[in-house]
Amino acid sequence: MYTELHARSAFSFLEGASLPEDLALRCVECGMKSMALLDRDGVYGAPRFYLAANKISLRAHTGAEVTTSEGWRYPLLVESREGYQNLCRLITRMKLRAKKNEGHVSAEEVAEYGKGLVCLTGGDEGPLAYALAQGGIENGKKYVQELVKVFGHVNVYVELQRHLSRAEELRNQAAIEIARNLKLPIVATNGVSHAVPDQREVQDVFTCIRNHRALTTAGRLLARNSERHLKPREEMSRLFADIPEAISNTQEVSSRLKFDLSDLGYEFPRYPVPDGKSQASFLRERAMEGMLRRYRPDNEKARLQIERELTLIERLHLEGYFLIVWDIVRFCNERGILVQGRGSAANSAVCYALGITAVDAVGMELLFERFLSEERGEWPDIDLDLPSGDQRERAIQYVYERYGKLGAAMTANVITYRGKSAAREIGKALSFDTETLNRLTALVSAWEYKDENDTLTNHFRDAGLDLQHPQIRKFLELCVKLQDLPRHLGQHSGGMVVCQNQLDSVVPLEPATMPGRVVVQWDKEDCADMGIVKIDLLGLGMMAVLEDSLKIIRDDYGEEIDLGQLPMNDPTVYQTLQKADTVGMFQVESRAQMACLPRLFPVKFYDIVVQVAIIRPGPIVGKMVNPYLKRRQGREAVTCLHPSLEPVLQRTLGVPLFQEQLLRMAMIAAGFSGGEAEELRRALGFKRSVKRMKDVELKLRSGMDKNGITGETQNTIVQSISSFALYGFPESHAASFALIAFSSAYLKCHYLPAFTAAMLNNQPMGFYQPATLVKDAQRHGLKVGPIDVTCSDWLCTLEKNGEKEFRLRLGLRYARGLREEVGRQIVRERAVRPFSSIEDLKLRVPWIRKVELTALAQIGALNFIDGENKIHRRDALWQIERLARQVGPLLERVGISADNEGVAHFAEPRVKFSPEINQAPSVVVRHSPLQAMTPEERLVADFNGTGMTVGPHPMGYHRQKMKRLGVLTAVELRSVPNGRRVRIAGAVICRQRPGTAKGFVFLSIEDETGIANAIITPPIFEEYHIVVVHQPFLIVEGELQNLDKVISVKAEKIRPLNVTRAETVSHDFH
Amino acid sequence: MAFASIYVPQFMVQAVMRHEPQLRAGPLALVDGTPPLVRVIAANDFAWRAGIQLGMAKSQVEQFFGVEIRHRSRAQEEAAHAALLDLGWSISPRIENTAADTMVVDFAGLNSLFGSAENIAEDLSQRALSLGLAANIGVASSIEVAIHAARGFSGITIIPAGEESLRIGILPVRVLSPSDESLETLERWGIKTCRDLAALPLLDLSERLGQEGVHLHELARGAASRSLVLAEPCVHFQEVLELDTAEEELEPVSFLLGRLLDQLCARLQTRSLSATAIHLQFHLGDLFEKDPEITKISPESGNDPKLYQKTLTLPVPMRDSKLLLKLLRLQLQSAPPPGSIVKIILSAEPSRPRAAQSGLFVPSSPDPEKLELTVARLSKLVGNTNIGSPELVDTHRPGEFRMSRFNPPINEQHIRRKMKSGRATTTADTKENVSQVRRSFIGFRIFRPRLPATVELRDGLPSRVFFRGVYGHVIAASGPWRTSGDWWREDSWLQDEWDIEIRLGPSSSNGVGAHIGIYVARPGPQQQPQPPQSGMYCVYFDSMARSWFVRGMYD
Repeated sequence: MYTELHARSAFSFLEGASLPEDLALRCVECGMKSMALLDRDGVYGAPRFYLAANKISLRAHTGAEVTTSEGWRYPLLVESREGYQNLCRLITRMKLRAKKNEGHVSAEEVAEYGKGLVCLTGGDEGPLAYALAQGGIENGKKYVQELVKVFGHVNVYVELQRHLSRAEELRNQAAIEIARNLKLPIVATNGVSHAVPDQREVQDVFTCIRNHRALTTAGRLLARNSERHLKPREEMSRLFADIPEAISNTQEVSSRLKFDLSDLGYEFPRYPVPDGKSQASFLRERAMEGMLRRYRPDNEKARLQIERELTLIERLHLEGYFLIVWDIVRFCNERGILVQGRGSAANSAVCYALGITAVDAVGMELLFERFLSEERGEWPDIDLDLPSGDQRERAIQYVYERYGKLGAAMTANVITYRGKSAAREIGKALSFDTETLNRLTALVSAWEYKDENDTLTNHFRDAGLDLQHPQIRKFLELCVKLQDLPRHLGQHSGGMVVCQNQLDSVVPLEPATMPGRVVVQWDKEDCADMGIVKIDLLGLGMMAVLEDSLKIIRDDYGEEIDLGQLPMNDPTVYQTLQKADTVGMFQVESRAQMACLPRLFPVKFYDIVVQVAIIRPGPIVGKMVNPYLKRRQGREAVTCLHPSLEPVLQRTLGVPLFQEQLLRMAMIAAGFSGGEAEELRRALGFKRSVKRMKDVELKLRSGMDKNGITGETQNTIVQSISSFALYGFPESHAASFALIAFSSAYLKCHYLPAFTAAMLNNQPMGFYQPATLVKDAQRHGLKVGPIDVTCSDWLCTLEKNGEKEFRLRLGLRYARGLREEVGRQIVRERAVRPFSSIEDLKLRVPWIRKVELTALAQIGALNFIDGENKIHRRDALWQIERLARQVGPLLERVGISADNEGVAHFAEPRVKFSPEINQAPSVVVRHSPLQAMTPEERLVADFNGTGMTVGPHPMGYHRQKMKRLGVLTAVELRSVPNGRRVRIAGAVICRQRPGTAKGFVFLSIEDETGIANAIITPPIFEEYHIVVVHQPFLIVEGELQNLDKVISVKAEKIRPLNVTRAETVSHDFH
Repeated sequence: MAFASIYVPQFMVQAVMRHEPQLRAGPLALVDGTPPLVRVIAANDFAWRAGIQLGMAKSQVEQFFGVEIRHRSRAQEEAAHAALLDLGWSISPRIENTAADTMVVDFAGLNSLFGSAENIAEDLSQRALSLGLAANIGVASSIEVAIHAARGFSGITIIPAGEESLRIGILPVRVLSPSDESLETLERWGIKTCRDLAALPLLDLSERLGQEGVHLHELARGAASRSLVLAEPCVHFQEVLELDTAEEELEPVSFLLGRLLDQLCARLQTRSLSATAIHLQFHLGDLFEKDPEITKISPESGNDPKLYQKTLTLPVPMRDSKLLLKLLRLQLQSAPPPGSIVKIILSAEPSRPRAAQSGLFVPSSPDPEKLELTVARLSKLVGNTNIGSPELVDTHRPGEFRMSRFNPPINEQHIRRKMKSGRATTTADTKENVSQVRRSFIGFRIFRPRLPATVELRDGLPSRVFFRGVYGHVIAASGPWRTSGDWWREDSWLQDEWDIEIRLGPSSSNGVGAHIGIYVARPGPQQQPQPPQSGMYCVYFDSMARSWFVRGMYD
């Protein structure tokens, strides 16, 4: 019997060519009962290998190759949990003190952490090969003796590898001699780096990528042959027929390695509770306190639910987890950081009572089991939304502080090779010239939309490439082989793991690119699979907007808004939503959402929950949107897929829209257990495996057959469920988002100035450009003032405009090219004393550069610097040029004028000195000989300098001409009946070609009255491709579709429109 | 005194169209940059009207129907510039090389030879057209005004003295060629024409734009005057020829090369110089669609598969155009370009001619020119890859080597240096060898070409071997030693080598030596050859050819 004890997976990043799952499967094919995975400087692939192995009854041994300062590596196998912890600590120590992807260990460190580890003498990169190359057999012996000293005589095995190479065999003979000499056991391995011989090609490409070479120039860096694959035990026995003990010893080693990843020793931190209290009692107290705050005391239903949940939490010993999340939320609340739980946590009444989530799980009758079930036996998952930026970072740093640098870390994000990245690397390796490479990679589709013919093979064929040509064929083959192989390790956006003991003994830690952060070697799926609790601290731009809005309202309106106490039946909000007047509102502002809102016609909060969930790829591809909307409008009878599913689907008019509904459908219709339903959920969200989906489908069908659900009904149910593979929302998650959506809508409807200011201060975010947000706010009556150094702050602010009204003042942050420190200095200096002139400004803000002053002058920010004497933009530019070339002290005090012949005349002093000390000299303002800018020039300067204009919309200047051309405004379209031919024109603010829309392109076209939509069919897009993609202003002609107040123009003719040179920006989703 | 300025508008475009006149009839966009950032840098009027914009990516332009795309060619621009200077020198020695697209001719003294200023301007315009350049000509009493008139007005413009300010006033400030910074400032100020600029107060302008402002003000008023800066003769030796139709045959190309070499050598001769190297560059037609294999980097193509380059390195400087043509032809015949030729660039590396005297004690050697010719002829005969000095290649492929250029030592000192460095290397090698684990010092003779063999296997091990009259029982075998590679090419390999010791059987002839006598000393006529009793060989199974071969023998 043979066990492979030295294999690398693709998680050795460019040093292995197979996924751990493939290695595991191949092991079984080769008749092995166990295998050890030794990736380079980490256990990155260990969880995936362990899980895959578990399913096929393969024993997964863990280990790693650990790099030394001399460049060789210790091949280490984990024997016990202590050994695993030592290995993790050793790697952590090495990683944390070095740069990313670098680092090495010293012999002393290995000695310190050597216990519980078995050391092999390695292959090409092992200690013995290195020692023999350096100093022959004597040196080799010395190195092996060192290993014996560190790991103990019984823990060192002399490793032999046979890849049919003379040099290697020479080394083997030396190794055997040393082993005999030192009485060490010999063990055979194959130094595996790919599962099957074919994958050697991928390995060679990786070698090229690693060494920045092409295949033609990599020479002997490439593999000598394809022998580093998993070999059947018979083949290995044949290879080592002369040393049979080398094979039999692999079994001995394997039987020694008792450790596997089920024995991680991970423990979630215990929350410190006051004396005399247990975690359970402390949690119960907090939950009950919360219940009284959230519900009426007599709400028996809520009390019972909370009681039920607490009992389960206690039974599963999860009190600590809830308390720790509660603690983070408490920290955020105390520091005024908005925080809200999302995802399945919103299904829990305890989470609601603890203030972790804002959705009333009892009131909305949400399924608690989706969040936590005894049967699943895994940690619950709580995701917290925080304002993106500094506030989120504060929360993350709090977790680090609380649990220590080695007690908390971010989860990793494994970046894999995808279409373009794989194509580019392979093209380079195959020595394609840059032009060819660009042509080939361009064939990998860039649009989100992909139809069934949208395969790489078809693209190549369409481009006229001969697929029979060896190089092209090889390129294609390799592109496919490289897909999804790990490329490098990134950092997950917000997933954190914490640990009771040192986290570095559970999984190795690495430094993240961002200073002050560490990251574990496993991604969030792996962490979840290994039973490590993850808390997602996610940054959400809208949370920052809400937080900033509340602050502005507090400061300027003097009102305190509690988002938890908003009137959820506010009629204005619903009227606005019904009109799809939703620019800037969370989750309901996209073109697709706007097209749905008038038809869905929300009248209560739950409608917003549905609205948030319905425009997702899952329901769209599952063809659930139209049936739901028709039933809602009473145009279609409410029927259910099957009578047994009525209780599940009643709330959504018989149409499944949420993940929970699908799980319940599977449980009812196919008799799935809770665990199986959970497996289904994970298969749906699991992008990695189509096969997994197929397995689940088979299970579903056989379950339904048993329950007598067959034929078309069965197909429809399966289709409903499987379409969610393309992503659908759980109801609780939709409810959490709906709350934020409602809050944003409420603030926009009632506090437009504050909301707009907050939106502008948190850009970039959302669906629209700042220019669109400003124009939308202006159409809603908000007055917006341009940037002005005499009153603008760095951020956008509100100014009183009458008694109760406010107007928005654009902040200096929108002046392109102005550095933040300079902008803030301007504000500070102005607070001391207003500026009297541009010269005064330059004197008091000495770091300001000419280019910054020019930028300010061009956008008119200096027009009012002289108080009463308003100057125009070019006057300011005229002054700035002179300031940039200061004359000497002699002439500074003397005004000189000259005639056109260049003869100078001394004139009156042009600078008046103020008698007060510390007061800047005030320049007598003289207007320039330059002409003021024309409106078009101002428009161009505004868009160049700020990306927007607060003046009239560019289309506004051309309305008369547009009228003559028969162009209608966005507002006028509302009163035009369906089917009429119309012409619209404006700035393109959004181009979209969604993956779910079968190649259709959607344009949002803005004029001075609002936004109109145009739909472009694939043939029309083909015809007008250039114009649609590149022209900033368009005239679109076609048939008007005006149904249920959803208005769009089905484009037939599209022309570019030259109205301005101003560079407007569109938000494109290619 | 009068000056004429000759200005070639859209110079980059015209430089390209000069060699492809058919391009004048339709839209043409000129692109430049490093992929993927290849962008439009110039275009003709047809192209602008078709919607082409400056800075557009090449891929975007490709989507416009009927728009021709050409890469900017600096070589063609240089040629066009040289032609422009030739135009000036054709009528006067007093010319100024103002810019790539502009030159100035001093009309002083020309009237009596060529007639009035109008006549001369008309004549220049016609000559420019015959050179393939459509030029604007401005004539004025001031150099600057002449230049601005040529740049600002199309056709021939003659500005009488006293009307400079009036006529120049309507031109955009851009014609004054202000610095980028000043131009930006003027644009910001809304100053569009020379008249606008001239209207600004001079002193205020000097406070803001410094001396450049004052100078621009003068220019805008047509009041600037300066002397002519006489042009220096050029020292660059390059001839470029763009072919209207791609040429695939070498014979007509040789004819064109001869013309170019004649011109090149004549130019060198006037400067009393010779060439130490001739660089030949062919730009090839679009290849990828024909055969992607060509896109691989080859020595002739450098990094660009559409480029074929040859360098004729000469042992001594020479300028005999006929000899040079022979050498070039031989090189081309031995390694012809892989596709049709669309452009020829020929340049010479100039040097002083060779001094004939060599060292007194240096052994006599063939005349370097003759040696070069002989090597070139041999190269044509046996192929480029089969002549030169062998050099090992960095690959696992057994027995792989390539030939590098034959470079015999030039003189005594060089030979001594080489011998010294050779000794040093040997010492270093020896040290390294000592440090090896176990180093075999056994010699190995490779059979080239490989010898086909028949190998009988028993239990997977070679047991008997037959090849070229040798028959033997295997008494010891070690292997297989497997190598495989170049899987991305059509000539990939997979070989299993065996080191075998054989005892020669009775049917063996006089041994291997009889058949591969160059490796083993032949026995003298008096001696009876003794067949060797045993031998050690390396045999291998080539999986691609599905056959056994003998790679060589161990001494």
